[in-house]
Amino acid sequence: MDGAMSQPGSGSMRATGAESPLVSIQHVSKRYPGVLAVDDVSLDLFAGEVHGLVGENGAGKSTLIKLLAGATPRDSGDILVRGKPAALHHVRDATRLGLAFIHQELNLVPYFDAAENIFLGHAYPRRAWGGIGWRTLRERAQQVLDQLGADLPLDLPVNRLSPGQQTLVSIARALAANADLLVMDEPTASLTNQEIDHLFAVIRTLQQRGVGVLYISHRLAEIFAITQRITVMRNGRIVTTQPTAQVTERDLVQWMTGRAVDALYPPRRPATATPLFTVDRLSGAYCRDISFTLHAGEVLGVTGLIGAGRSELLRMLFGAAPVTGGEIVLHNAGAAQPIRPRSPAEAYRLGLALAPEERRTQGLVLTRPIYENTTLTFLRNFARGGWLVDRRREIDVTATLGERLSLRSRSPQQPVGQLSGGNQQKVVFARALAGEVKVLLLDEPTRGVDVGAKQDIYRIIGDLTAQGVGVILVSSELPEVLGLAHRLVVLREGRQVATLDAASVSEEEVLGYCFGLMNEEMERG
Amino acid sequence: MQADNSVSTTAGLRQGANRWLRVYGTFAGFVAMIVIFSLLRPGVFLSPNNLRNITEQVAILAIVATTMTVVMVVGDFDLSVGALASLSGVVVADMLIQGVGLWPGVGIALLVGAVAGLFNGLLVAYFGLSAFVATLATMTAFRGLSLFYTNGSTLFSGIPESFKIFGQSFTGPIPNSVLIMLAVLIVTWFVLEQTTLGRRLYAIGGNAQASYLAGLNVRALRLTAFVISGLGAALAGIVLTSRLFSAHPTAGEPLMLNSIAAVFLGMTMFREGEPHVLGTFVGVLLLGVMSNGLNILQVNSYLQLVLTGVIILLAVLLSGLARRE
Repeated sequence: MDGAMSQPGSGSMRATGAESPLVSIQHVSKRYPGVLAVDDVSLDLFAGEVHGLVGENGAGKSTLIKLLAGATPRDSGDILVRGKPAALHHVRDATRLGLAFIHQELNLVPYFDAAENIFLGHAYPRRAWGGIGWRTLRERAQQVLDQLGADLPLDLPVNRLSPGQQTLVSIARALAANADLLVMDEPTASLTNQEIDHLFAVIRTLQQRGVGVLYISHRLAEIFAITQRITVMRNGRIVTTQPTAQVTERDLVQWMTGRAVDALYPPRRPATATPLFTVDRLSGAYCRDISFTLHAGEVLGVTGLIGAGRSELLRMLFGAAPVTGGEIVLHNAGAAQPIRPRSPAEAYRLGLALAPEERRTQGLVLTRPIYENTTLTFLRNFARGGWLVDRRREIDVTATLGERLSLRSRSPQQPVGQLSGGNQQKVVFARALAGEVKVLLLDEPTRGVDVGAKQDIYRIIGDLTAQGVGVILVSSELPEVLGLAHRLVVLREGRQVATLDAASVSEEEVLGYCFGLMNEEMERG
Repeated sequence: MQADNSVSTTAGLRQGANRWLRVYGTFAGFVAMIVIFSLLRPGVFLSPNNLRNITEQVAILAIVATTMTVVMVVGDFDLSVGALASLSGVVVADMLIQGVGLWPGVGIALLVGAVAGLFNGLLVAYFGLSAFVATLATMTAFRGLSLFYTNGSTLFSGIPESFKIFGQSFTGPIPNSVLIMLAVLIVTWFVLEQTTLGRRLYAIGGNAQASYLAGLNVRALRLTAFVISGLGAALAGIVLTSRLFSAHPTAGEPLMLNSIAAVFLGMTMFREGEPHVLGTFVGVLLLGVMSNGLNILQVNSYLQLVLTGVIILLAVLLSGLARRE
């Protein structure tokens, strides 16, 4: 590493003055056993620029960031900070050089308040007698937050702040550490639209102060909204770096997947007129008076802001949350059967299946192999005599389902925790398909999933509806709901504020209902 | 650039070494221990007599540790097993003294174990108490029951000779206690590895919430694990009482910590760090061999406790360090 210190190029870089990059990554590579995770990557990041980094899961973005953070050593290549070769052996080195990292899972101390978190690792101000100057600390924290235009309580432990506020706290911490480059990895994954708007305002403020930002996100709309340049990675290499203004969403998807894109969403097949599942004035702890009818082959979108009761509604239908009133009716070959599942086990027996919101904590047993996760629900059906495990059969079934779902894995015996987000979601789907599903409840099925896997999941939803399955789709991504659903239920504060025809409604109208700007005589389907 | 390569090579070597330590570390420690003891006391440690001694000494612990494994597979643990073993021992001795007959007496003691396990399971799975709090409380209560039942004294006079069948008799050359241990081991291994019940228990241990949403009856399954643990503890208590041919109200106490230690030692042998019957058995053997060897070397018995603690810490630390890579 020391041998690289006297690079002849570094002097001339500095000489170019304002044009010289803040951070220059030059021909960097990193190999893990069996895979070249980062392959000869060169990338310049400038002060005052927001630079987007996109790519499918496994494209090498995370590894690149780890190399930049000094969390893992690079095999070859150089990283120059302000023209000087940087020795990044430890995360501390990166911090000292003015690089700050904001991850999806924020590194805040949950029981400390915002002021303490912002100045964590700095010397606390002291009183004359040696005690901590809490008031001074708060004042300084407030100053930093003011620079961000952020207003949040300083005296609450941060675990009682919203995810958006927590993100702001970690940005404030970076600012307090005088960071010149902010690396943000999926910063909006758990934020509401409002919080995202605020975050973008903060990023623009930082930008004006000359801070450079490397912005990583799966959400292409955000990439277009906030960045000036975009770099696309695929299979560890950089495909291209382009000014954002000259790129279309279609280009990005094509570069990321390496294949031409047809429409992202499969053509919508007409739903049948056969009712499958009727919900009438269903009420629970967070939802009241929800009514709709789902038809065979139909995708019913459910949308609303976070906290509107979307996930709660699915959990009520699935027997995982208490129902206090109303009716659920399952139509079985013409016969109406009132149901009230009291547990997920009962819901599965009735032909319902759920892909929960949090795949890793609610959906899968990460330490166990793919095949065990696939057969978990209907294990009895794959066992000899209903009790003696038959691994060969389970593995065969899993392999067949995996093929149908384009699941990419080393083998059905691979632990689920090693798969990418998209492939993990496919395992959740495989489990539902291992039984006989009539009504599929999907809660944010494409969150944290890369574009290629997203397309696969959309195709699977299309295939299932073609077979007469009814799908209830909860998603925060409006384009997704509008692209897939036939009809759309909008929830606001636990109430059903609209039931819309997804084909003829605009994104703006739906948002209007979500925020309570529009009202409607409810048309009950 | 060359410096970089050498860095990554040593890192690779370190990774390889770590992986080796993680998978074989505990087992290697076990083998090393046997080698050291047999070198220090040639002819004594590896003599057939001593080997039979070791298996007899570990048989009772192995029974408790094996069923403890089931509870730990679901992600809980059971602190009451030692007190429960004492209680079932007291019950079986008293029943036999009162003349209810061998098999009815044993049946009643096992029933006590099952009911106690059911009670633990209800507290943890249905009333939502943490396993630590619930079984700590029942441990105290079970100990109190045994002491109250015997008034703190040891029961021995009047136990029929036929009761020696569990802890002192042989079938061919093999002690019956060892046969019972093997039966428990094999049945538990079979249940955990080859049945839908075992599969579901492992799923709950991996992620209870996901298992619930996947349609498993998480409560009933956790309860079942505690019942199995209660039965194992009761069986161990019976064998222990037969071996000692007397029932002391606190005779089973050391089983609790040692069985949990054995499961932990076993967990270090598997990549995902999940409890496993075979791993537990190696853990039990490791503890047994160590205690036997140190006895042969006439190491101070108080010092033995210190060494046992250090070995457990070492094994768990090493496997934890290796897994972090």
